[in-house]
Amino acid sequence: MASQLLPLELIDKCVGSRIWVVMKGDKEFAGTLVGFDDYVNMVLEDVTEFDYSGNHAKLKKILLNGNNICMLIPGGEGPVAATP
Amino acid sequence: MENGALSQGEGKDPSGFLSEIIGNPVTVKLNSGVVYKGELQSVDGYMNIALEKTEEYINGVKKRSYGDAFVRGNNVMYISAD
Amino acid sequence: MAEPGDESHVAEPLDLVRLLIDEVVCVKLRGDRELKGRLHAYDSHCNLVLGDVEELIYVVDDEDADDDQIRTVSRKSDMLFVRGDSVVLISPLAQS
Repeated sequence: MASQLLPLELIDKCVGSRIWVVMKGDKEFAGTLVGFDDYVNMVLEDVTEFDYSGNHAKLKKILLNGNNICMLIPGGEGPVAATP
Repeated sequence: MENGALSQGEGKDPSGFLSEIIGNPVTVKLNSGVVYKGELQSVDGYMNIALEKTEEYINGVKKRSYGDAFVRGNNVMYISAD
Repeated sequence: MAEPGDESHVAEPLDLVRLLIDEVVCVKLRGDRELKGRLHAYDSHCNLVLGDVEELIYVVDDEDADDDQIRTVSRKSDMLFVRGDSVVLISPLAQS
């Protein structure tokens, strides 16, 4: 029981490393996790934004609203790396 | 068992990042896909945003400009430092 | 945060809305709607009371699927209340 890892502790372990964020809608982000708060609003660096249509855009540093986040995948590099 | 947000220093957690970019040019993307570019005047806990010298882009095409603009936080997907 | 005696200081985003009281504003709403009118009142939810309002609704005609078949429907009201959750953007109606 004592070894249970809380969800936010898992995210805390990802600080400083790459993370893949899947939004509720048709959007995904991959970037380096700089920090986050209790609402899981996240600061990401060297970000790639993936569109539903296969487009992607690079962003230096963003604050991502936690409201529309669906899923977080530690170490993920987004759909491009996942399906080479 | 420390909270991720609390263990972060200035410029690392969301509020630190925001205070770092106040006054700078930013890109704000809404959930609808509409993009606003402008100078960040202020942000609050709801992610409501006040922008100066704002330009509106829809599908990457500049549509309008606003001197000042208030954007309600629930529509915001991300704020990016330009 | 707020500098006392400086009424025009925007310490938080809603201060910008406070400065627009009694001004003519442009309000973008969810669902491709837009209002232009005088801002009489607002609250922290962005509930608004506007006077002498023109409402513009952008309608896409899908029948002829030409890309730019956008029609605008407009109507006027003396006074109306806007529920805050449909507000996207509020801006002074000067340069837009």
